Amino acid sequence: MNNNTGFGAWITRPMLITFAILVSLPFWIDSVGLYQYLGVEIVIWMVYALGFNLLLGYTGLPSFGHGAYFGIGAYAFGLSQLHITESIWLGLICAILFAALGGAIVAAFLSHRRGIYYALLTIAFGQVFWFLSIKWHTVTGGEDGLLNIPRPDLNIGFASFSLSSNEALYYFVLALFVVVVIGLWRLVHSPYGTVIKAIKQNEMRTGFIGYNVWLYKWSVFTLSTALAGLAGGMFAMAQESAYPDVMSLHASGFIVMMVLIGGGMVSFWGPVIGAAVYFLARDLLGSATETWLLWYGLMFMAMVMFKPEGIAGAWQGFIKRGDASTDGDKKPVTR
Amino acid sequence: MALFEAQHLHKRFGDRVVLEEINLSFEAGQLSGIMGPNGAGKTTCFNVLTGRYKPDRGKVLFDGQDITGMTPRAIARKGISRSFQIMNLFDDFSVIENVLIAVPQVRDRGFNMTRRVAADVAAMDKAAVVLEQVGLQDKAYENAGSLPYGDRRALEIGVALATEPRLLFLDEPTSGLGIDATARLSELILELKHAYTIVIIEHDMKFLFGLADNIAVIHWGQVITRGTPDELRANKWVQSSNLGKLA
Amino acid sequence: MDFLINLTPHLVNGIALGLLFALIALGFMLIVGVMEVINLAHGSLFALGGYFAMMIIGVEPGWFGPLGDWYVGLPAGARYSFALVLGPIAVGLVGMLLELCLRGTYGKDPLFGLLLTFGAAMVIEELIRIGWGSGEQFLQTPPAISGAFIWNGLIWSTYRFFAAGFSVAAIILVWLFLERTPYGAIIKAGAHDSEMVRALGINLSQLRLYVFAFGVALAALAGIIMAPIWGLRPHVGVDAVIPAFLIIVLGGVGSFVGAVIAGVLVGLTVGITGAYASEWSLMSMYLLLIVVITFRARGLFGKKSMLEN
Repeated sequence: MNNNTGFGAWITRPMLITFAILVSLPFWIDSVGLYQYLGVEIVIWMVYALGFNLLLGYTGLPSFGHGAYFGIGAYAFGLSQLHITESIWLGLICAILFAALGGAIVAAFLSHRRGIYYALLTIAFGQVFWFLSIKWHTVTGGEDGLLNIPRPDLNIGFASFSLSSNEALYYFVLALFVVVVIGLWRLVHSPYGTVIKAIKQNEMRTGFIGYNVWLYKWSVFTLSTALAGLAGGMFAMAQESAYPDVMSLHASGFIVMMVLIGGGMVSFWGPVIGAAVYFLARDLLGSATETWLLWYGLMFMAMVMFKPEGIAGAWQGFIKRGDASTDGDKKPVTR
Repeated sequence: MALFEAQHLHKRFGDRVVLEEINLSFEAGQLSGIMGPNGAGKTTCFNVLTGRYKPDRGKVLFDGQDITGMTPRAIARKGISRSFQIMNLFDDFSVIENVLIAVPQVRDRGFNMTRRVAADVAAMDKAAVVLEQVGLQDKAYENAGSLPYGDRRALEIGVALATEPRLLFLDEPTSGLGIDATARLSELILELKHAYTIVIIEHDMKFLFGLADNIAVIHWGQVITRGTPDELRANKWVQSSNLGKLA
Repeated sequence: MDFLINLTPHLVNGIALGLLFALIALGFMLIVGVMEVINLAHGSLFALGGYFAMMIIGVEPGWFGPLGDWYVGLPAGARYSFALVLGPIAVGLVGMLLELCLRGTYGKDPLFGLLLTFGAAMVIEELIRIGWGSGEQFLQTPPAISGAFIWNGLIWSTYRFFAAGFSVAAIILVWLFLERTPYGAIIKAGAHDSEMVRALGINLSQLRLYVFAFGVALAALAGIIMAPIWGLRPHVGVDAVIPAFLIIVLGGVGSFVGAVIAGVLVGLTVGITGAYASEWSLMSMYLLLIVVITFRARGLFGKKSMLEN
């Protein structure tokens, strides 16, 4: 606990390995039978899942309506491009801010709730946003959604790049992913991260040693919805459209599944693994059978029944068995 | 004036009166005890004093300030800390993390999202001191959830101590401990007694009589008598009840 | 007066819908109360009930030999009644299978039960798609309860009245079962204190198996009754499980009366909003929930529950 100061604390080896794999992805993804755009989707969902796991894995708060904030981000990006001006930064900032605003309001209702009541209220609020997106035609375009959202050039002051190719877009979302990963890694090892982990384990005691549990629960929800908004904004940019589907209960359920299958409850990298597995399953199983959801659902059930710690948990167990004699203090904490 | 005072506390659950006209005061620097048979209202009393429940009537004063009905968080920040009878630790954290999170410097930086917890040398030192006090310095990096029962009891007290309390409430600290472990705990509390104002709720009379400067006896939701251990030994009611024989 | 007359059909529809919601919610609540499992597959099993009934009613001559042919010859009402009994039983058996899968999650974070049933919901929905296709299907109702009649100058759907009456009867039967039979007493004991059930010498895992089967059978029953109104689609269950959720939270977890009142309240809200702003009718129930929960944390009749920890 007392090593790793300075550089080592910000960037770790698993991080470098992950980044290296993802940076090289466009060079080999075609040759394994997949396609460039899949990489974009996966990385966007990784950001979404990482933000979601801050809430589920680290704070132990189950949200089943997170799709709403992803959707708000997507619509905010689209509306800002269509009605204000074409700018990536404006679009993404709008996406983050509006999703966080929605999240902050909802969190104010949620944050003195626990367990199932918490989950139920997130569903109710999620459905309200989903409904709005369908019914508020004049703004959201109803069930069809917003179409023809422009994908503006990336302007970084001295230079401007076109993101119209999927490779260029991929490296842009990957850059944001890198920023999010480094930021979140730091956050979960900060005092704030320690407090939210404490709330997950024992909310009452956290209050009794003097923490304002409500404020932490409120802020972590808001933070998590801001990241969902960022992901949603990127998604609207990638799809060049925004539609209500991503806000449905099903879509919200998928993000929970991804995080859990990957092992978000026990590992920082769980959501990253889970998002990749989900999309690979969708494309690989989906090309083999029309009913891939059946197999994915069965796989998920088996996972919950036999390995609720997910893929990362199974990996940790495997490593632990391997070097149990040399290293005694590996812990099953989310870190 | 006493450091901590409870005046005319009443508490009901539904139509059952659990506490009736409780008056207590705890002097600074002393170790006070609250004893009484199971179901006498001790634990409820404790929960009302430490902010877990609000009293229906009555006042709780700390250092002359009315703290009745404040949240546990606000009360903790005033310098009152408590341990729990039913173990209440952060089981997935290591021993030192359990203590660290309760340290006020860490608490004040709770919303800091960029600093590394482990790099906070002052807070780590403070946590190490607390672990030494409760005798867990050698187990600092073990998982709290996998500690033996007696060590968990000690850690329970350690977490309460780490908040740097001006007043420390201990809820049945010997609960579930064997004779050896109780004796060790006795020594620990004797040490702490020099540095802290302590209130202990206990049904192990021998343990309490050996430590406390004064004791209040609660039965049927009321304070039926109070005094030093010697006075209580001489008290007729205590003698005639089971409590006296045990002491 | 005109206003009231115009509103009446919506009130009646609202109450009918509310009673059906209450029926769905009751099964859901039994499972929550006794097993502490949030059964997200409740909606899919609701849908499955409708599909099973459709299959039972639609048996073709020659499928099951002479017995089947005799059955096909029965009047539509008799076959419908068969479906009302056999459909829920079949779904109850599926529920038992699911309960066996759930056993590993007992004693863990309730999140796992919820997630397992979410997976099960996906699987059941896909199975429905494989078995009956993705398109909209209809459940035939016997002539006696189909059609419409004119009363006071307004057209009323006969089936809505049948559905409402049937729900009332079913709710009363469930209530009698819970309050007036020894089985009901055991179930209620299980809901409050599993230690006590064990002390009474009752096999807890059997109790859970049957309670789960009973709960999802109620969902299937509601699904059969609802099918002619909503139609049958593989994902129709979502439309059922969400109101059931809301009703439980609104009425207070563990309160029978609360569930029935909240059910009717939700039905009325949806019905009345439907009269003036049909687009927003489903939204209104979420808003109702948010308003109630803001002021009454545990719903209208709720007590503190272990599920909060």
